[in-house]
Amino acid sequence: MERWRAAGGGQALERAAFDPAAVREAVRQADLRGLGGSGFPVSRKWEAVASETPRPDKYLVVNGNEDEPGTYKDRLLLEETPHQVIEGALLAALAVGANRVVFYVNPDLTLSLAALKTAIAQWHASELLAFASSALGRPLTLTLLPGSGHYIGGEETAAMEWIEGKFPFPRGKPPYPAQVGVHGCPTLINNVETLAQVSHIVLHGADWFRALGKAPGAGTKLYSLSGDVLYPAVYELPMGTTLRELIYVHGGGLLSGKPLKAVFTGGPSCTLLPADDLDVMLDFDSLRARGASLGTGAMIVISEGTGIVKRVAEYMRFFAHSSCGQCMSCKTGTATMSLLLDRIDTGRGTPTDLATLENLCAMLPGTGRCHLISGVVQLLDSSFRHFKHEYRQALG
Amino acid sequence: MVAMNNAMPLAQARALYSPDADIAPPPVLADSGALLNAFHPDYVSSSMARLAVGANAGDNCQRELAALLQAEAIIDEADLAGAPVTDTDVLIIGGGGAGCAAALAAAERGARVLLVTKLRLGDSNTVMAEGGIQVAIEPDDSIQRHIQDTLRGGHDIGNPALVSAMAEDGPDVIRWLIREGMQFEQTPSGDLHTRKAGGMSAARIVHCRDYTGLEMMRVLRESVIQHRSIEVWEHSPAVELLSNEHGRKCVGAVFKSLADGRFRMVHTPSVILATGGLGRLHLNGFPTSNHLGATGDGLVLAYRIGARLRDLDSFQYHPTGLVYPQHLSGKLVTEGVRAAGAQMLNAQGQRFVDELLPRDIVSAAILRECREGRGIRVDDGRVGVWLDTPRLERSQPGLLERQFPKLLARFQASGMDPRVDPLLIHPTLHYQNGGVVIDANGATTVPGLYSVGEVAGGIHGRNRIMGNALLEIISFGRRAGVAATAPRDRGPRKVTLEHVNRARRDLTLVGIPLTQEAPQILPDYAAKGIWNR
Repeated sequence: MERWRAAGGGQALERAAFDPAAVREAVRQADLRGLGGSGFPVSRKWEAVASETPRPDKYLVVNGNEDEPGTYKDRLLLEETPHQVIEGALLAALAVGANRVVFYVNPDLTLSLAALKTAIAQWHASELLAFASSALGRPLTLTLLPGSGHYIGGEETAAMEWIEGKFPFPRGKPPYPAQVGVHGCPTLINNVETLAQVSHIVLHGADWFRALGKAPGAGTKLYSLSGDVLYPAVYELPMGTTLRELIYVHGGGLLSGKPLKAVFTGGPSCTLLPADDLDVMLDFDSLRARGASLGTGAMIVISEGTGIVKRVAEYMRFFAHSSCGQCMSCKTGTATMSLLLDRIDTGRGTPTDLATLENLCAMLPGTGRCHLISGVVQLLDSSFRHFKHEYRQALG
Repeated sequence: MVAMNNAMPLAQARALYSPDADIAPPPVLADSGALLNAFHPDYVSSSMARLAVGANAGDNCQRELAALLQAEAIIDEADLAGAPVTDTDVLIIGGGGAGCAAALAAAERGARVLLVTKLRLGDSNTVMAEGGIQVAIEPDDSIQRHIQDTLRGGHDIGNPALVSAMAEDGPDVIRWLIREGMQFEQTPSGDLHTRKAGGMSAARIVHCRDYTGLEMMRVLRESVIQHRSIEVWEHSPAVELLSNEHGRKCVGAVFKSLADGRFRMVHTPSVILATGGLGRLHLNGFPTSNHLGATGDGLVLAYRIGARLRDLDSFQYHPTGLVYPQHLSGKLVTEGVRAAGAQMLNAQGQRFVDELLPRDIVSAAILRECREGRGIRVDDGRVGVWLDTPRLERSQPGLLERQFPKLLARFQASGMDPRVDPLLIHPTLHYQNGGVVIDANGATTVPGLYSVGEVAGGIHGRNRIMGNALLEIISFGRRAGVAATAPRDRGPRKVTLEHVNRARRDLTLVGIPLTQEAPQILPDYAAKGIWNR
């Protein structure tokens, strides 16, 4: 922590602690988005929570349940710079008036948990936390809570259920967490990466932050690059970097020089981009315009020679395993789609199976309490859109 | 094999040879190290390469083998679209003695076993093993001496834990084989007949004539075919292993049918590699005693999924491989013939080495004779030295017919008689001393992957002594078969080729072009139509 302070850590907190409205305004002007996958403007959430009165508490949940295949950015942040995350969280807590901060972390990320545990102990011993409490006017509590280990536990209302000691079933919305969150209190929930950006915005200003990105994107983004590239890693690049630059400049190109086939953007719960879309800019709005989404910023690169059906079937198995099962459409929908895909992938499929899958794609979106089933269909649908011929080929 | 122009032509040497000539004992070998360094291919640095990637990066390895270990995979994920999947408890790759022993041991424990073999069940080096099985059963012998002989024969670098496990299993292995129905040579009083061979401190070889391996395979093959929980796929070479999503655990394998060219996947918690050796790679241009399927596929597959290998620079060149007639080139004359007293002579009719020294030294001595112009040359330029079978027959009349009927029959089919004509021999690539690193259960360094038989390493050090190969395959085959049935977590698992991607990444990073593909599956000279069906 001393090293972090010496490098300028904590200055943002010292500067902005007594002016929460200015922090909210800076974040609004910086166009900071929810980097956990939604791309939802952060300031809208913050304003909503700030306008609520504590009943008797207000919560801030730092969502580190990162479990999406191909995503490993939050783990890096928590392991390497936990203090920056904590400072960002405290700034957010002060900005919305939250007095209870819960760090909710995937239990499998043992190194992240250990780093965060040490860091929180250091904050408890430091004057910075006392200073923040005095700014808030009531004691701030920092709690570290390992998550449930369930994929669905990363959904924001599921996280709240777990924090309340229950199984992480997503809740129906509305009411939104800003009104009724943990134990009925107003709750702000943000991703680790989102909060890690806040201190920089406060310290350097919204204009500086916006200029880091390539318009229309603002700031930087951590891209988790994996798959058939030479150098898979987490890259912090300007928001709006093109896919081509990410893969060929930073990722070192494809393994064994094979042509690119497709990219799973934002992890498998989002979409497939075919090779023609290499020059798309990787920010929330540009990808949405292409019918794709940035999601967590995971980019799973697939080279020629990879079977799309097999990959999609694999991810579907993961989702069927991960569905919490409270919504019938998701519980049976993912299981059925997984079954059909496995059949097709192992050479036992029929044209009817394919037609069934297409029908399910039309029926299922939006039928669940949470986004899971819609995300799953989005994946399958986009694989149909670009690689239908491979499904037909697997039918034999 | 290097052609030697200054060697004596066959006809001239044959005319010079007489089984009745007086022969002086061989000169005493002063410095076996110098002999090996000068003539044994394992010690020639120009035939070695250093591995650049994988678990053995930095290790020495035979050049031809290194190229295969650091090569591109045959298949891609896309090839597996629509490939049928079979589930089983234990998957065994390889249909030789080790594979069959493992299959039987696993099936006896109630597991569903799938045994997949590249050619046919029993098409293996096991059937080539002629001499016998080494096992300490004589009153003047002990397990301890068996262990010591094995370690010393292997230049003291074998893994003592593996060697003692094998030697201790010995008597039980023989008991089990007899119970399965295998025949052994007996003394008139009904005890097992033993004989002594190179590098042994006591008579320790039990055998069945000079086709011990064939007899063993006959019994194992019948048992495997008859066992109702063992399924066998023939003509299905393994082209790749399957790994979990981290590429660190073996969860199955991919096979290509030679009948219809289709890929099939097998998912299983336990894979036992029993793929044998690599003689058909003809390292350093040597002929080989190995069967047609011995192309080192198991080493390639294991290395790519991350298993550690050992002693990749050490192979056994059996001293007595045939040179003549041509169609038997590389085929073995069992060490049993030398054990029974046969001598080796150079073109001048002189003995040049004690025939019962360890195999690597005897081979190096033959190579020295050939290279220094004291060899005997056949018309196509290949050279060799005499193995003096007529003199053996004279000293012990009827011996060849009684104890080496296979040898006799093989030559009589070619119109020759070893009782009259000496055999022309030259060292032949016989055995892979090293291999996949295993523990006493045959488990490799990769979870879910076992390795038994010739493809595994660590038992024979840098040189195997006679009779330990047949013991090893049964001992470790059964050990791995039992260990592979141990209950383990079968939860939701991903089946991927992630390890192939990792290997590609490593190769690209060190700048090795992905032009060569491995495993090789079939020898270079196999008809191309077999693969491209």
